[in-house]
Amino acid sequence: MTETPKLTLDFKGLLCPMPVVKIAQAIKQVQVGELIEAIATDPGVMADIPAWARSTGHELVTLEKQDKIFKFVVKRLK
Amino acid sequence: MTETIELALKTLEAQLNQPLETALEACARCGICAEACHYYRAEPKVEHIPAYRAEQLRNVYRYEHDFISRLFPVWTRAKKLDETTLANLTEIAFSQCTLCRRCTVNCPLGVDTPLMMRAIRAMATAGGTAPEILVMLADAAIEKGNDPSFYKEMFLEQIADMEKQLRDITGDENATIPVEKQGAKILYVPLAGAHTILPPAVVFNAAKEDWTLSIFEASNYGVFLADVNRAKQVAKRIVDEANRLGVEEIVISECGHAYSCYRWDVPNWFAGQFDFKVRSLIEVLAGYISDGKIKVDPTGIPGSVTYHDSCNLARNGGLLEEPRYVLKSIVRDFREMTPNKAEALCCGGGGGIVALAEYAERRIAAGKPKADQIKSTGARTVVAACENCRLQIGDLNEHYNLNIHVTALTDLVVQAMRLPKPLPGMEAEHLFEGEQVEAPR
Repeated sequence: MTETPKLTLDFKGLLCPMPVVKIAQAIKQVQVGELIEAIATDPGVMADIPAWARSTGHELVTLEKQDKIFKFVVKRLK
Repeated sequence: MTETIELALKTLEAQLNQPLETALEACARCGICAEACHYYRAEPKVEHIPAYRAEQLRNVYRYEHDFISRLFPVWTRAKKLDETTLANLTEIAFSQCTLCRRCTVNCPLGVDTPLMMRAIRAMATAGGTAPEILVMLADAAIEKGNDPSFYKEMFLEQIADMEKQLRDITGDENATIPVEKQGAKILYVPLAGAHTILPPAVVFNAAKEDWTLSIFEASNYGVFLADVNRAKQVAKRIVDEANRLGVEEIVISECGHAYSCYRWDVPNWFAGQFDFKVRSLIEVLAGYISDGKIKVDPTGIPGSVTYHDSCNLARNGGLLEEPRYVLKSIVRDFREMTPNKAEALCCGGGGGIVALAEYAERRIAAGKPKADQIKSTGARTVVAACENCRLQIGDLNEHYNLNIHVTALTDLVVQAMRLPKPLPGMEAEHLFEGEQVEAPR
């Protein structure tokens, strides 16, 4: 069964590093094991979100481009 | 003594060199710095006087270095560093000073208060009290350098999409965005995201420049933390790329702190491994226009335009005339803010504060003098050649109802190149919305 994100965030129009800043704030609002789903328009998230997940120890579940929108899901691991 | 305090004090000691010791010893307490500071101008209270802020570190320094102060601290207001004092210092250095150095250039003794604020930032970073967002952003950038393979493919896909856009805008089927081109003359270092890649790509192609991108961006959050170790790790990615590709020159995107970092700090950090000329994109634009390498319409921008001097580029970088030369080459109605150039007021968004949501209210309040300056020019377009400044002025626009359009210098130059299509978001009807302007001739 697919897990349902606890939070869904819209970062459209935000330029890097703001999507990373916002996701870092949001991760504290969910419990360990819960998911956050977000969409953004800045292509910088394609590099910055995976790097953020690696350096902070959270899981990047998916990251995909749909037309001009970047959609990603992260899981809080600690 | 806790580990936090031990690390903070050790970091203070490690930083003590002649400039910092001079700053810690030399203040005459004249108070001239007060009016120089945008925080004080916005809200005149003692905590917003640069000398007062510096005094909080001096109190700790005196306790550590002055025998009398250690024996009778009450006589000299000396203070033993403890957790509360470090928390207070951290708050001051990260939220009440944007490191703009306007106080320094207005100080009769040249006391470098931002140098002391940097010393505190370094102490806080070592002690673990620095804002975690800045630490996280610096660490994420280091991670990108450690293993770029996890995003390189996506980056190249993004560049391929941008190249299509570039060809569409310029009408030039041969326009390219080279990545990691061996032996290119210029390594252009953008910020993350298309907005700092596509407009310069238009310009570089028009000028027939021999240029390349790497996969790394210019931002360096280690600089905001005053953490030389982290800052060097972030910068090393660009240094290594420049050496690997064998470029002659590094051109930094419209970004204040990155220009300052690569122009002034990196040549010292990597002495012997860094033999590159470093220029800001602003200088490159001015050069292309003066040499006729790009054609711009001198009446291409019909609306009223003002320019915000980023502190890192103008006061601390010396880029005073180049942006004005560019703007006067394309703008019909250019209006200066007062004061400007080396005396320009900080917008309130420097020093990494735009990334710190917890200080947003303070940041917007401190930007009031800049908002007032913008308002008095009556200009409808504000050009800022720094990403942090643009974010801050965008927020000021919203908060103080300035009714302006905030843009980068390169975007405006591209607009004046009169290409087949405009950049996304730079359509004339959007740029000059609500303004009575003559149509471009």
